[in-house]
Amino acid sequence: MKAIKLSVPIFFILFSAVFLIASFNLPKASLGNPNAPIYFPAGLSIIMLIFSIIYLFQELKKLDKENKYIKQMLSGRTPKLIGFTILLGVIYAFVFDRIGFLYSTILYLGGLLFYINGIKKWLVNIIVTVAFSFLSWYAFSVLLGVSLP
Amino acid sequence: MDGSSFMEGLFISLEPMNILWIIIGGFLGTIVGMLPGLGPATAVAVLIPVTFGMEPVSAIILMAAIYYGAMYGGSRSSILINTPGDGSAIAATFDGYPMAKKGQAGEALAISAVASFIGGLIAVVGFIFLAEPLANFALEFGPAEYFLLMLLTLSAIVALSIGKMVKGFLAMMLGLTLSTVGIDTQTGVYRFTMDIPHLSEGIDFLIVIIGVYAIGEVLYNLLTIDQEKKEKKKVGKVWFTKEQWKRSKWPILRSGPIGFLIGVLPGAGGSIASMISYTTEKQISKKPEEFGEGAPEGLAAPESANNAASVGAMIPLLTMGIPGSGTTAVMLGALIMLGLRPGPLLFEQQPETAWALVNSMFIGNIALIIINILLVGLLVKILDTPAKVLYPIIVLLAFIGTYTLSYSTIDFFLLLIFGFFGLFLKVMDFPLAPLVLALIVGGEMEQNFRKALLSSDGSLDIFFSSGVSIVLFALTVASLLYPLIFKFFKRRNQAKKTDRISKSS
Repeated sequence: MKAIKLSVPIFFILFSAVFLIASFNLPKASLGNPNAPIYFPAGLSIIMLIFSIIYLFQELKKLDKENKYIKQMLSGRTPKLIGFTILLGVIYAFVFDRIGFLYSTILYLGGLLFYINGIKKWLVNIIVTVAFSFLSWYAFSVLLGVSLP
Repeated sequence: MDGSSFMEGLFISLEPMNILWIIIGGFLGTIVGMLPGLGPATAVAVLIPVTFGMEPVSAIILMAAIYYGAMYGGSRSSILINTPGDGSAIAATFDGYPMAKKGQAGEALAISAVASFIGGLIAVVGFIFLAEPLANFALEFGPAEYFLLMLLTLSAIVALSIGKMVKGFLAMMLGLTLSTVGIDTQTGVYRFTMDIPHLSEGIDFLIVIIGVYAIGEVLYNLLTIDQEKKEKKKVGKVWFTKEQWKRSKWPILRSGPIGFLIGVLPGAGGSIASMISYTTEKQISKKPEEFGEGAPEGLAAPESANNAASVGAMIPLLTMGIPGSGTTAVMLGALIMLGLRPGPLLFEQQPETAWALVNSMFIGNIALIIINILLVGLLVKILDTPAKVLYPIIVLLAFIGTYTLSYSTIDFFLLLIFGFFGLFLKVMDFPLAPLVLALIVGGEMEQNFRKALLSSDGSLDIFFSSGVSIVLFALTVASLLYPLIFKFFKRRNQAKKTDRISKSS
């Protein structure tokens, strides 16, 4: 839990530090003040860095205090649920253009429903997957004119 | 107010197709708003793709209907299953759920719908009188005033997240820094694009919005999905008794204007409006002990106020182009994408669009009260649909929505990254509205800041050169000091209480 608690302020510190360095490495403008594109992001990065450090100290102070959401995130099958939803999303992104909207959506929605809703409710899962995949294809592709693969 | 533009707007909003969109939007919004944990911002974000290919006027009418629908929907789940759809529906649980427990679910739903309807109407009238003068006033704003107005909006939204201001600032700074990615429009310099052509036009804020609000919220709701309560509610006749109406009517009429004015203020929204109206009614009530036990006025007041606030929040969005809340920020993003630029010029250059929207609010409120009273049986059935089935559908809608933005699956990865990031922010109790708001107004904010400095040859005096800019600056400082003042008074009250207790013992 402590690692997760600290990961967010550390992410912000790293993000603002990288952004600050990148701001000073931005190309100079050929029109007007050459440093004009730099001021705003550099200023923001400095302020963000200051707030990130304050936030780190705030988190360090209450490091032992329990965060029920982090606890929930790490308990039971929740990490698997979150991981699977993201992993399936990545696979969906890879196969979407290759096998087309309808097939990839049936696979994605079906997979997600079977995993989240359980295999016992297979009939509901199949009906919802097929019905919703066709319905969304019809609504977006035919009614709204969105070109789907 | 220009009468002919108003009438033209009325005719546009009365076109059969637009009425149909209002009904569809209201219904869809009600459904998404009813889902526990998902509020109006998610409803609008997920349903943005539905507006693609539509006429901008119809699109804005549809989005507004989704927004109000979600506000109505949020309180359905508060009353029936004690689970608010979002922050603004929390107050509806205080007395709405106890009413449902006492077997008065039908009465509670009817009071909530009628209160929302009247609150919405009061606010629309307020909108008609306030919008145009405010738009005319905003026409005189220069870049310095605009920059300060955006700064005020951002600082107000951060300051109102009491107890987590540092997190609010971080979210805001993150949004602002992300808004600098892409080509700098004033000099043509590529900033932080990492040689990825996809980033040259910047990070599409709609992807961030859909990622954070739709994917992030669903992932967050997965934390408790296995603990979902299964509570079947029987709803009898959806109407209230004479006695209940007698107790509710004045609280409704008082809370409407309160909610509207709070909604107009940047940063404040339905949550604050409903809480303030609830506590006000409790304080002035002759039966304060009944509050929390199922008092009809305890439900009517916040419902009237939060719906009025949702209309009020549209004023800064449409007249100045400055969204005052997370949901209106999402709407601004969608409107820009549709080619509409909300701001003072909207009322001057496209008055029929602006007035069509205002008129559609009247029709939308009528449609929603019908949906929420006549179709209550259907809505209760939808509420019975397990979240385990609905959340995967929402995730899928988020993917389809993202695809329709750029027809590129690269954005799916960005969507997942922002969704996962959104989950972390929610878990660590970060407010999301400052991030989204800053990302959307960040580009304009920087450009106005630089334009102001260009016009003054680099002198910062430009930000204190007019009465408006001085007032805006003072308000920004005041909004930042507000949490300190709040803390001070809270401590003083606590000290007084302890003092009294120790004296009496």
